[in-house]
Amino acid sequence: MIKLLHVEDDADIREIAMMALGLSGEFDVLQCSSGSEAIAKVKAFSPDVLLLDMMMPGMTGRETLDQIRKDPMLASIPAIFMTARAQHSEIEELLMNGAAKVISKPFDPMALADQIKLAIKKPTSID
Amino acid sequence: MKQVTKLKSSTAIAVIGGCGLAAAWYALSQLAFSGTAETVLPVLGAIVIAGTVPSLVMNRASKRASRETRFSMTQRLDAFGKHACINIVDENDKLSEVNDKLLELTGYDRDELIGRPVTFLYNDIEKEVAAEIRDNLRRGKSWEGETRLRRKDGCVVFTQSTIMPLFDRAGKWAGSISVRTDVSRTNELIAERHTAQTLYELRDDVWIIDAESETFSYLNRAAERRFSTSYSNYRGQSLSKVDHEGHSLDVLTACREMKANEQTVARFQTIIMDVSVDVSIKFLHGLEDAGRFLIVITDISERVEREKHSSAFISMVSHELRSPLTSIKGAMGLLLSKSAGELPKAAVSLLEIAHRNADRLVLIINDILDLEKIADGQMEIDLKEVDLVALIQEADQANAMLQQRFGVKVQLKGMDTPVPFNTDPNRFIQVLTNLLSNAYKFSRPGTTIYVEVQEEDTHVSVFVKDEGQGIPQDEQHKIFSRFSDMTNSDRALKGGTGLGLNICKAIVENMGGTIGFESAEGVGTTFYFRLPRVSLNSNANLIDLAVR
Repeated sequence: MIKLLHVEDDADIREIAMMALGLSGEFDVLQCSSGSEAIAKVKAFSPDVLLLDMMMPGMTGRETLDQIRKDPMLASIPAIFMTARAQHSEIEELLMNGAAKVISKPFDPMALADQIKLAIKKPTSID
Repeated sequence: MKQVTKLKSSTAIAVIGGCGLAAAWYALSQLAFSGTAETVLPVLGAIVIAGTVPSLVMNRASKRASRETRFSMTQRLDAFGKHACINIVDENDKLSEVNDKLLELTGYDRDELIGRPVTFLYNDIEKEVAAEIRDNLRRGKSWEGETRLRRKDGCVVFTQSTIMPLFDRAGKWAGSISVRTDVSRTNELIAERHTAQTLYELRDDVWIIDAESETFSYLNRAAERRFSTSYSNYRGQSLSKVDHEGHSLDVLTACREMKANEQTVARFQTIIMDVSVDVSIKFLHGLEDAGRFLIVITDISERVEREKHSSAFISMVSHELRSPLTSIKGAMGLLLSKSAGELPKAAVSLLEIAHRNADRLVLIINDILDLEKIADGQMEIDLKEVDLVALIQEADQANAMLQQRFGVKVQLKGMDTPVPFNTDPNRFIQVLTNLLSNAYKFSRPGTTIYVEVQEEDTHVSVFVKDEGQGIPQDEQHKIFSRFSDMTNSDRALKGGTGLGLNICKAIVENMGGTIGFESAEGVGTTFYFRLPRVSLNSNANLIDLAVR
């Protein structure tokens, strides 16, 4: 089982992602609605991969990742961003700064599990 | 005045002298004569002497004064003729006399002017002035003002002219005399002064830096204000000294690079004294020195701020629209994948319609955001060296599903070897995908779409040819307009946004290229776009194009 920490402020999207990942049967998912909640729970959960929404009120996905990676034990966890932003340069900047993958919203729920599995096995890419 | 005074004193001396001589004659002649002669001759002689001597003396003095006056006048006229251009016009308005100075100014020979109408000398646009002058002269009035004369070589010279009428002894009109001074240089100096004044008052900062010593030789008022100093304080100051004060690091570096690489122009954006500025540098070659850098600095802080707001707006709208669509599409996708169990056939059919239209909505949002970026000059053009063949194959593969849906085949022509090209790969694919998807939608099932690359020295062209229904002749003019439905298209059914070609045009033009098509109804359409070969550091120029 792949332990995945999903951080997303939109409850509907959290539910769809949970259902989509649940279909594959290969993920143990913990969901958080904010960056601060994720930071509080990440160490105890010790995920294999982080799935972070980019734009969230309070702490953004990027800021959340920066905080998590301050802990040496968690610094090497691969991070995948989800973003509704259209700017290509922003997506490229995320990849340059260590994101394993950037998934654009709206995403295909049926392809989500495969995309994540692929991203944590191979170098960075944009979907 | 002096002449008159001199004449008056001569007259007085002559009269006194004449009276003195007459008195002497009277006294001495009485001793010399006797009888009647002794009575008559002294008186008669004294009267004659007193009357004739002053007259003789005065006549002689007058002649001498006249000679001096004539000599003086001749010298003055010589000097006048050397200073001013003089011409005399006869009663028929034809030139009858011209001095050497006028010939020198106009470049004509004397023979070429004598006998010509005086208007021959005037510039075409001065004909009205010539008429005004003639009118004044005929009424006996002189005229003064600026006249533009046409030189033999076609150039125009400005003269300050005084033109006076001439009359014969009977008072009849006999022509005119014109005295002109060349004021072209004066006018040039005035124009230069105005230019310098304009430069000084310009809203942008203007610096002039000596290329060799890297010192300031000029600052306009805006630059003085920025530095809170006066021009005299900075004249001769080194740019590097100013640089040390944190004002112009990038400017100094750019000047040195231009010098090293023998570049004549440079343009970049930087921050000077906490203000975002656009810097434009032009190297001006010197005739006897190492030349100068003309530096124009434009404050773009307002534009930068506006772009930041606009970018934030686009980002926010993008997020706010896509997030609910993510839920809608995700939920429908899961339902269609039977993750919530088997659905009735009619429900699946309705869900498919909703899902397809949600996809369309995503495309429309993407297109609207693209248009917003284009309008704000924020269209990102990120040049990279790519293989066009690989990009075209990528676009072709990405559209495989659409090809299947519309039952068409795609054939790539002229792509046996790689075509290296500097372009923005994402924008290139965006344009090509758009043209390809249009070709699929409007082709007859079973037909082939041809994609071809043609290389030229300065450009590369890409052609997408279909064997579809073609674009009606009378609707071709609106093909690149937004939401322009053709009578033979069914945009809603085929999934178009009505914005694609408009965006393609904007993208291609932002990359300095052109886009077009040829179409025949019932035969097919060929769309093409042509992009210039550019160097990888041309981003700034492309951004400029986008802003415009």
